[in-house]
Amino acid sequence: MQYRASFFMELLGTALITLLEYASLALIFFRFEDLKGWSLGEIAFIYGLAEISFGFMDLFFSGFDPGNFGLRVRKGEFDQLLLRPLNIPLQILGSAFVLRRLGKIVVGVFIFSFALRQTNLVWTTAKILYLPLVVLGQVCFFGGLFIIGATITFWTVESIEVVNIFTYGGNYMMSYPMHIYQNWLRRFFTYLIPVAFLNYYPALYYLDKPDPFNLPTFAPFLSPVAGVSVFLAALAFWQFGIKYYQSTGT
Amino acid sequence: MIKVSNLSKYFKIAKHNRGTFGAVRNLFNTEYNLVKAVDQVNFEIQAGELLGYIGPNGAGKSTTIKMLTGLLVPTSGDLLVNQLVPWKNRKRYVAEIGAVFGQRTTLWWDLPVIESLELLQHIYHVPEKRFRANFNEFREILELDAFLDTPVRSLSLGQRMRADICAALLHNPKLLFLDEPTIGLDVVAKERIRRFIRYINEERGTTVLLTTHDISDVEKLCQRVMIIDHGKLLYDGNLAALKNRFGGKRILEVDFAENYAEIPLEGAEVAERSGHKVTYHFQRGTITASALIGQLSAKYRVRDIEVRLQEIESIIRRIYEERLLE
Repeated sequence: MQYRASFFMELLGTALITLLEYASLALIFFRFEDLKGWSLGEIAFIYGLAEISFGFMDLFFSGFDPGNFGLRVRKGEFDQLLLRPLNIPLQILGSAFVLRRLGKIVVGVFIFSFALRQTNLVWTTAKILYLPLVVLGQVCFFGGLFIIGATITFWTVESIEVVNIFTYGGNYMMSYPMHIYQNWLRRFFTYLIPVAFLNYYPALYYLDKPDPFNLPTFAPFLSPVAGVSVFLAALAFWQFGIKYYQSTGT
Repeated sequence: MIKVSNLSKYFKIAKHNRGTFGAVRNLFNTEYNLVKAVDQVNFEIQAGELLGYIGPNGAGKSTTIKMLTGLLVPTSGDLLVNQLVPWKNRKRYVAEIGAVFGQRTTLWWDLPVIESLELLQHIYHVPEKRFRANFNEFREILELDAFLDTPVRSLSLGQRMRADICAALLHNPKLLFLDEPTIGLDVVAKERIRRFIRYINEERGTTVLLTTHDISDVEKLCQRVMIIDHGKLLYDGNLAALKNRFGGKRILEVDFAENYAEIPLEGAEVAERSGHKVTYHFQRGTITASALIGQLSAKYRVRDIEVRLQEIESIIRRIYEERLLE
């Protein structure tokens, strides 16, 4: 805790941003009352869950945040990690444990508990036990995307915005029910990038809603599988990409 | 200990478009310049050597060191250190070497020096007893006591370099890479670092590969020197022989007190003149500096005199431009 004041400012900042984003959504709701059959409370369920997961991911993986990581690569600071007789991804995880993301998690929990009060969610043992796995799947998924983005910076730092489309865009995407999107967009985020399995399908299961797209009944339980697969693929890509690290001129 | 054969590292540098939409066109750029940072380099280093690796900016020194320390993967060629290929067995390999990069600290920016060192003890699994012995020894010679509790970000350059060197040696590496360890340091700080490098090499038998811009680093420390420029190894051998062969030229700079029309000196030639300031060149062995200064003060009124050796940059430039080594 080397920079205390800065820490509390950022903590407050991230919390406020998340809260305001959701507040703006809620304000729209007061006008339209529901979103293609989903109530505000139900939206809050997936919104809160996505925020909690993204917050946890950012807490642990922010060393891989392509923007920051690319900067470190460009400055040659990555040399330092390579010089240590330790696993590189673990060093990066350890290099940035960003407590200020707690703000995002706290707000996520707040929105999520609001959802639980608003909806008539029927808890079963299976639902309780599965919840951490859903979060784990999402954390792995976004962590994997961060790692892929970080790996791309070994070649270029200019195309990093493309990766942000998937990470931040995916997080945004995940915060709303899948059936509000156009078919092509939904298919893209179901089969190519498995966002739908991570949050939307688990939400259908928790809220006991029917699947409008008639996927097999195990679809809600693919969250950890999809997340861990993306994560493992990302690690493999990382192992490949690290050979192309160029360091700097000095 | 180190065996390098036909080692090359090429970088592809994207060509930058300028002008209108240049930034946009850069995104779809497929044109590259190929930079041969290190080109077909061969050498061997025996255990216990203290060796200087020199060359001007951009010659390929740092790239070589980065391949030797496992940071960069070569484009082609072979590299074997301690029977290991650095980038393939990275974790095992880096546990056996030490490296200091003068341009950049390997310590933790916000941690006090002592905590950085203790962290390294755990990272390298240094037993407590050995760590204490090494630490106490180094902290005395490198005079670390004054700033052990200071965060690394607040250290002066000289202090930071000493802390970095100490950090690189705590785990008793057999091999130490020093990339410009004296860059930007004042004379006293340079001398302190040099003394320590010599000590480590002589007392502990650590093999040291040292890159530098400062020829006096090499003169004071190394028997053997390797010169690289434009990625090619130009010279590998005895330093004294090299200096006699190519660095015989000396420079005499005189600031005259009056404006003389003619200022000839026997045994030296005027290389440059601007107003009162005149630069002479002379050959070592043909005439001594003191004889020239004697001539000067007998004939003219002089304000200031300076005798210099030809700098490494110009020796190397001469070697390269005149292709003296091919």
